[in-house]
Amino acid sequence: MIDFVQNTIDGVMIGSSYALLALGFTLIFGVMRRLNLSYGPSIMIGAYLGTLAYVQLSAGPAVVIAATVIGAVLAGVYVERLCFAPMAAGAGIASMVSSFAIWMQLEQAAILVLPHHTYPFPPLATGAPLTLGPFLLRVDHLITLGCALALSAAVQLLLYRSRFGLALRAIINDPVAAHLVGINVRTAVMLAFALASAVGGIAGYLVLATDQQVTPMFGMWATFKGLIAMMIGGLGSIPGAIVGGLVLGIVEAQSQWYFGPQVRDLFAYVLLFTCLVLRPGGLLGEPPTREPALGRGRA
Amino acid sequence: MLDVANLVTAYGKIEALKGVTLQAERGRITCLLGPNGAGKTTLMMSIAGILQPQRGSIRLDGTDLTGLTPARIVAQGVALVPENRLVFPQMSVRENLLAGAYQRNDKAEIAADIERMYERFPRLRERREQLAGTLSGGEQQMLAVARALMSRPSVLLMDEPSLGLAPMVVAEIFRIVAELNRDGTTIFLVEQNAHMALQVAHHFYLMEQGRVTFSGTPGQLAEDEVIQRAYLGARRTN
Repeated sequence: MIDFVQNTIDGVMIGSSYALLALGFTLIFGVMRRLNLSYGPSIMIGAYLGTLAYVQLSAGPAVVIAATVIGAVLAGVYVERLCFAPMAAGAGIASMVSSFAIWMQLEQAAILVLPHHTYPFPPLATGAPLTLGPFLLRVDHLITLGCALALSAAVQLLLYRSRFGLALRAIINDPVAAHLVGINVRTAVMLAFALASAVGGIAGYLVLATDQQVTPMFGMWATFKGLIAMMIGGLGSIPGAIVGGLVLGIVEAQSQWYFGPQVRDLFAYVLLFTCLVLRPGGLLGEPPTREPALGRGRA
Repeated sequence: MLDVANLVTAYGKIEALKGVTLQAERGRITCLLGPNGAGKTTLMMSIAGILQPQRGSIRLDGTDLTGLTPARIVAQGVALVPENRLVFPQMSVRENLLAGAYQRNDKAEIAADIERMYERFPRLRERREQLAGTLSGGEQQMLAVARALMSRPSVLLMDEPSLGLAPMVVAEIFRIVAELNRDGTTIFLVEQNAHMALQVAHHFYLMEQGRVTFSGTPGQLAEDEVIQRAYLGARRTN
């Protein structure tokens, strides 16, 4: 029983970083109704900029965080300008496939600049874990959890209390109508990409500071984890992203403890599969029956 | 005056508008009739900037609107109430109205305008915190009109506001159209319900297969035998 609770605690901690990744993913998907496979690799570019500052300039944590977030935002906007802005309505597949191409490009760029497979990443917090009765809590995990909660609350506030949030929700609801009320949809979408990449950059920093190393494969990892968590929670849903991330984290932690690390990912995919069969819209998403809004409105 | 000249809009190689020329005069209600597929919605979407015309021009009192973004066109004082209403379903009635005022910064005036909309459409006040997607068709149409008015347009484009609504609701919509026009808004209306349109509009156009095939006053429209048979359902008396 103690193991089970400890695993759940660990799962929530790890899951909170998945939740942050899914939060950025879901923002992009909600606004665009398109999949950005380059989401993880953009974060990886940020992380490489962070590690470059750390290795070459021995920069402190503040600079590393800033470099990671700025790098992720720049790479995210680059992906948006290249793969999403030029594609016409109804060309969602073209966006997805081109974002796959840019994923490869970003990965190769990272390998060219820093050719070793693994680079060190500065830790967030060192020292002994806190104890709570029989349970152990890692400090960096607690910081990650705190950041996940604070950031998702901030994004929720931004969406529901600001003018920019009103514009984003209008675009999510009906892009044509958003144009018609005078929202500059192209600019708003670009800013949403930047915002999602910034959230992803913070998520990436927290994960890598816990791992204390970064490889070019981090991009793929981040896309997978974010995508699975988002799909479990519900595409385009912010509470769904949080729940999906936490559920994924807990399932991974339990399966790793009881069945070993080899089968951990197997369980993650079984979870995703079960979810897609039983609740195709995700735990908190709506069932995918509504046709995309852009398809309507011509005679 | 809204002045559309030789407008050509195409979907790929298929021209939905094959050189449309028409005018909507200031302070009047102009109505565009036509069968399904004539290109009426394409024309409205082209004027609003959602669709890019290939050729021709759209001018408002001499200002060229052709090729402007939808946001720029709203800023010029043109607002479209789209076909099928397209309210923001997951946003409340009040948020829909706020979104309608997106380009305005005068908070107090926006609040006052929302209050005015509630006075004009009392059902919207009753449902102000309800999600727009849960409203009835008629209520959604009222909301779509109110949302468009929140940008304080000088020209209001309306694409089939009576579509799929009960006769009593249709009458209410047309009462509001006449009222808005009396208050000084220029209205350019697409309708299939010629009977209702005849009671309010000052000028009519008929569009068929991407071309304007008739232009005239309500009197001339009522006299035209072909139109009578097709749109007013009049039987020939032998």
